[in-house]
Amino acid sequence: MTATQIDLLQSAGSASQANLSISAERTEVNAIVARGIEMIYQSGAERFRALKNIDLDVKRGDIQLLMGPSGSGKTTLLSILAGILTPTAGSVSLLGEEIFKLSGSKLAHFRLQNIGFIFQGFNLFPALTAIENVEVALNLKGIRKGAARQQALGLLDQVGLSQQAKRHPQDLSGGQKQRVAIARALAGNPRLIMADEPTAALDSHNGHAVIELLRNLAKEKGRTVLIVTHDPRIIDVADSVAYLEDGVLKAGAHR
Amino acid sequence: MASIARKNLFEDIPRFIVAQAGIVFAVSLVTIQVGILKGFTRSTALLIDQSSADLWVASKEMVHLELTSPIAAEKVVQAQKVPGVERAEALMIRSSVWRSDSGLITPVRIFGFDPDSRLFAGWAVSQGKLSAAKQPFSVLVDRSSLKNLGQTQLGEQGKIGTLPARIVGLSQDTQSIVSSIFIFTSLENANAYATAGLNTSVSCTRQTKGDLTCTNNFENAPLDGVAAPLTTPRSLSISDPISYVLVRAKAGQDLQQLKQRLEAALPNTRVYTQAEIADQTRVYWSDRTGVGFILSLGATVGFVVGMVIVGQILYSSVTDHVREFGTLKAMGASNWVIYSVILEQAMWMALLGYIPSMAFCLGLGAWTQTAKGIMILITPATAGGVFMLTVVMCVGSALFAVQKVTRVDPAIVFKA
Repeated sequence: MTATQIDLLQSAGSASQANLSISAERTEVNAIVARGIEMIYQSGAERFRALKNIDLDVKRGDIQLLMGPSGSGKTTLLSILAGILTPTAGSVSLLGEEIFKLSGSKLAHFRLQNIGFIFQGFNLFPALTAIENVEVALNLKGIRKGAARQQALGLLDQVGLSQQAKRHPQDLSGGQKQRVAIARALAGNPRLIMADEPTAALDSHNGHAVIELLRNLAKEKGRTVLIVTHDPRIIDVADSVAYLEDGVLKAGAHR
Repeated sequence: MASIARKNLFEDIPRFIVAQAGIVFAVSLVTIQVGILKGFTRSTALLIDQSSADLWVASKEMVHLELTSPIAAEKVVQAQKVPGVERAEALMIRSSVWRSDSGLITPVRIFGFDPDSRLFAGWAVSQGKLSAAKQPFSVLVDRSSLKNLGQTQLGEQGKIGTLPARIVGLSQDTQSIVSSIFIFTSLENANAYATAGLNTSVSCTRQTKGDLTCTNNFENAPLDGVAAPLTTPRSLSISDPISYVLVRAKAGQDLQQLKQRLEAALPNTRVYTQAEIADQTRVYWSDRTGVGFILSLGATVGFVVGMVIVGQILYSSVTDHVREFGTLKAMGASNWVIYSVILEQAMWMALLGYIPSMAFCLGLGAWTQTAKGIMILITPATAGGVFMLTVVMCVGSALFAVQKVTRVDPAIVFKA
C-alpha cells in the first residue's frame, strides 16, 4: 500500500466519522424523523399502497410543507406522523421518541403533551364558546378552572380574538374559527403543530392572517410546524417543501 | 372541564325536547306498567291489608279472599270461646247482580260485616257513615264504582237481585282492579241479598243417638212468581253460611299458638294470619291467572322499549358528535375522557327524563284512582327503583353508543 493510498483511506475514514457525527446531530436537531413509511389498505382481495417507502426529516423550528395533488396520500402521511394512524411498516420519531413503540395510552398522552392540531374543517365544538373550546384543550392537559380560563383568554388574545371569547363558532367567520382553532392548538405550549389545509376554507385576507400566525409560531416561538396544503401562498413562509405524488415523496425544496 | 356533555345536550333545544320526550315516554311506560302491576297486586288484597283482624278463619278449601266455601255462622260463637280470642266476627262474601233504575246490570260482590266494628272495615268512608249500613237495604260502595253501577250520588237506589239497595256511603280505596264491583253492607242485609230470589228451607233428621242433623236448602224462586212483601232482613242464625270468621287476639297472644287452638276448636277450617291470607290472595292473582303474567310482561316490554328508545337517542346523538369525539381522541384525550362525556350525557338525559315522567305518572295515577278506581301504585320504592332503572337504561344505552366512538377512525378529523 502506498503512502498516497493510506492517506486516501485515512481521509475516507475521517469523512465517515464526520458523516456519522453529522447524522447524530441531525437526529437531535430533527423534530420529526420518518423512515420507510408504508401504508397499505386492503379491501377484500384488493390492496392499495397509499404510501411507498417514505423518509422525511423535519428540523426543529422549521415550517415544513407537504404538498401534492388530491389523493396523493398527504393526509394519510400527516395522520401517521401525528401518531393517529399506524403505518403498515416504518417508524416515526417525534422529538426523539419512537411513537409507534409506545402503548396506545402513552401515545395519546404524548400527543396531548406535544402536538397541537389545526384542521381544515376547524373541528371546534359547536356547543362551546370560543374560550370554552380553548379551555377544553387546557383541561385535558390538567390545567383547571381559573388558570385554564386565564390562559385561554391569553391565547385568544394572541390570535386577536379576546373580544369574541364568548361567541359560539356559528357566530364567528371562517377566519375567526381558524384562529380559535390555532389558539386551541397552542394550548399547553406544544412543541409540534400539525395543520391540515389550514387556509383552505379561508379568503385571501384571513388566509394571510393565519399564515402569519403560523410563521410567528415557528420563527418567534420555535415551534415545529408541519402543514399539509394546496395553498401556494404558504410556500413563501416555508423552510422546506415536500411533494407527494401517488404515495411517493418527491425531492423537495429546502430554503 | 367545560361540560361538553351538558352543552351538547342543550345546544339544540327543539332537538333536546324531542329526545327527552322519547325518554319521558319510555320512563312513563315502565312506571305505569310497574305501577299497574303493583297496584293490581295490592288491590287484590286491599281489604285484607286494611282490616285489623289478626287471624282469618276460613274453610279448608279457601283459594283466595273471594273464592272460598261457606262455613256455618256458629263458628263465630265457637271461635269467641277459644282462649286468647278477644273478639270474633263474621264476614260474608256473596255474588249477585246490581240493577240500576236505568236497567244497567252489573255483577257485584257483596261484603257483609258488622258495621259497628272496624275489624273488617278499616278503610276510609269519604261520604256518609259506616253505621248507616245497618239500616235495612242500605249499602256503601267505592267512590270510583258509583258510575259503573249507573249511579251518580249518595242516596240513590238500585236493586240487588230483587231487593232494593240504597247507597248510604262511599268508601275510598277499596275496589280491586280484577273483581266485580264491591258492595259493603251489614251481615243481615248481605244475607238477605244473598238469598233474594231463592226459596229456603231447613230439613232436619234425628240421628239414632238423638242428635239432629239439619241442612239448609236454597232453590231459585220462579221468576214469574209473586214477589214477597219487603220485610226487615232477619238476624243471622248459627246455621247461616258465612265466608270467614275474623279474629282479634288478646294483647300479647302468640298468633301461631292461637291459630293452632282455633283450628283444633273449629273442625274443617284453616286459620290464616293477615299476612298469610293477603299473600295467598296476591299469589293467586299474580301466579295462577294470566293477569299477573300479562302485567309483568307489559312492564318488561316497557323496559325493553325504553332501552331501545334511549339507545336510539343516545346513539344518534353520539353519531352527530362523532367528529368532536374524534377530535378529542386526536388531541390525545384518553378513552375514559370520551366515555365520561357520553356517560354524563346519559345521566343528564336520565335525570331530565325521569323528573317530568314521574310527575306525569303520579298525576295519571291520582286521576285513574279517583275516576276509574284503577290504582297505579307508585311507592317511594317504586319511584327509586324506576330511577335506578332509568339510569341503567340510559347508561346501558350509553355503553352501546360508546362502541361507536371506540370504532371511530381518528383520521376522520382530517376530513373536511
